[in-house]
Amino acid sequence: MSPAGRERRKIVAPRLVLGARSLAGITRASRDRVLDMTARTHEPEALAVTLSKAIDAGAEAVLVSPSHRLRTALAELRRPVPLLAVVPAVEWQEALDLAPGIQSRVASARRGAPIGGRMSARFAALLRLPGLMRGDWSALIPVLLELETARLARGELAGLVLAADLTDVALAAGNARFFTRFTDYVWRRFRVPAGLETRNLGWMLSRLDEWKVAPDFVVGPMNPSGLGMKPTAAETIAAVERSNVAVLACELRAGGRVPLAEGAAFARAHGARGLVPDLVEFEDVSNELKTLAAAPVI
Amino acid sequence: MTIDSPTSSHPEADARMSAGAPAAPLRVAVVGLGERGIAHAAVLATLDRATLVGFADPDSAARRNLAGAGFHVPTFARLERLLARQKPDAVFVCSPLATRAALARTALAAGAAVFVERPIALAFRESARVVDEALRAARPLLCSHALMHMPVFARAHEAVRAGAIGAVREVRASVYVSRVFSAESAERLTGARGGGMIAYAAFDLLALLVRTIGLPLEAIATTNRLYGANEDELHAKLKLPRGGTLGLDCSWSVPGHPRPATVIEIEGDRGHILVSDDAIEIDGTAGDHVRLSDADLPQPARFDMDGEPRWIEDRAFVEWVLGGAEPPGANLRALEPHAVMHALEASAHSGGTPTPMPEGLGS
Repeated sequence: MSPAGRERRKIVAPRLVLGARSLAGITRASRDRVLDMTARTHEPEALAVTLSKAIDAGAEAVLVSPSHRLRTALAELRRPVPLLAVVPAVEWQEALDLAPGIQSRVASARRGAPIGGRMSARFAALLRLPGLMRGDWSALIPVLLELETARLARGELAGLVLAADLTDVALAAGNARFFTRFTDYVWRRFRVPAGLETRNLGWMLSRLDEWKVAPDFVVGPMNPSGLGMKPTAAETIAAVERSNVAVLACELRAGGRVPLAEGAAFARAHGARGLVPDLVEFEDVSNELKTLAAAPVI
Repeated sequence: MTIDSPTSSHPEADARMSAGAPAAPLRVAVVGLGERGIAHAAVLATLDRATLVGFADPDSAARRNLAGAGFHVPTFARLERLLARQKPDAVFVCSPLATRAALARTALAAGAAVFVERPIALAFRESARVVDEALRAARPLLCSHALMHMPVFARAHEAVRAGAIGAVREVRASVYVSRVFSAESAERLTGARGGGMIAYAAFDLLALLVRTIGLPLEAIATTNRLYGANEDELHAKLKLPRGGTLGLDCSWSVPGHPRPATVIEIEGDRGHILVSDDAIEIDGTAGDHVRLSDADLPQPARFDMDGEPRWIEDRAFVEWVLGGAEPPGANLRALEPHAVMHALEASAHSGGTPTPMPEGLGS
């Protein structure tokens, strides 16, 4: 870990975060649930009120991709909502036409970034030209982060989280430097927690430990059914309990198979430091978040 | 209708295939480094009994992207060069549809086993040539069909084959996906202006249905154009091999479906199955009811790259090439959903004329 990294150990991962990844279609919930949630939060005002109530109910931040829709909703509020911003932020329609990898995401983010962000990105790029020419993901990631964060309002950025689309490919490729560069850059440049989203929690924690890379947290599925816990539920639990990296558990309801409280209790009992229940997993966002916030931490 | 197609498997070739299995780890190459190629590369990198030995793509940016992601494997602009230099045991063909058949044949001719993304080609004749090449070369050929390996759909197949609802009488199936505002994307994938909806949106569903209820005898199909030159939706009726009909609705122009939404209803003489991406429900005539979602079913994949299927399918192919069991959709079977696609398109283009399957599939 870099010196900057050692300093950053003062940052503590959140314990309760409202997940809003389902807004981007990333969820294992049933189609009916997703449609219901979409209907409830379709209007920017409705989404804004939901997010605001979640913060009042005890959520420390919202895990979300800072899409145009989200920014429109946040503009309705008079106070900043702390965001664990999942990057890159690409709408699903746009993703269909993008080439895979980071380069296309950088180009997409550049189109939507304000002039200040483009300048910062250019500066970040100038320092890493050889890597950029090679298409090196660890050289491209600072450029992407500059462009993505430039679209957020002051005071909103509570953390940066790298989306599973990228992390899981880099994980499979064994790209330790990519994860090191991401966490170091987030700490040094933005001074907020650096997180990784993954659909392969057990793999990710094991490899991070092996590589001695320590982001502030990893977001991954944990639930009593073992749904989405890779490589297996048992190996994932063992990795969570063994790892020094904080885990924020998501997909707590296993696609709707178990109640939220049961999923939350399971994740906490097996070593998750924090919980990320998603909008689509709630019956009543405010009350259920209050209950989760009040539950004793194991 | 008769189209050049393999008329049977080749017994001598079968014997050669099982006798010549390479040793683990299987040396695997990936050609076509778009989204699917990268996903396969990621999954293959996690398999103990496979090792990546090369990537090929004519686009230098795609090759740079994969190297930039951290895959330290030789990359080539041309498959021929990769085959000559790296001598892979197997090649995953993930290139755009217009190029898949030719690349698959090249790999087979070089002695490699081939896993090819679906469909192999838009034209049945092209797909048949690839299958024929595989049989002639006695090399394993597998066409990808992710839907078959999604836990709920796999369970539906098992239930029907085990007779849980008795003899199948009627089937209704639909697949909807929102791609109307992304015609460019669809054309890039299919390589076909003015066609390709079935190939893009419904091919997986066809493969699952053929595997579960058999190859239909005849198809009647109509298409509608709503937003432009390409067809937007297809309605079809297919005659099932043991009597009964299959009604199929397919559209890639329905709002609100970022991911394909697939629903199948199967009426048997002893029960009914309703299966969707969310769950499977089985109702028996005795009033018994079972509902299972993904969380209730085995999740064998050890690495998640957009769900369970990719890992399950890639591993099954690797194990088959190494001498294990033949996975579904292999060799001659790979041709069956292509035959249905061909009959549907032929019927639609002729204004809904009943169209038989191409002859010689030996199903």
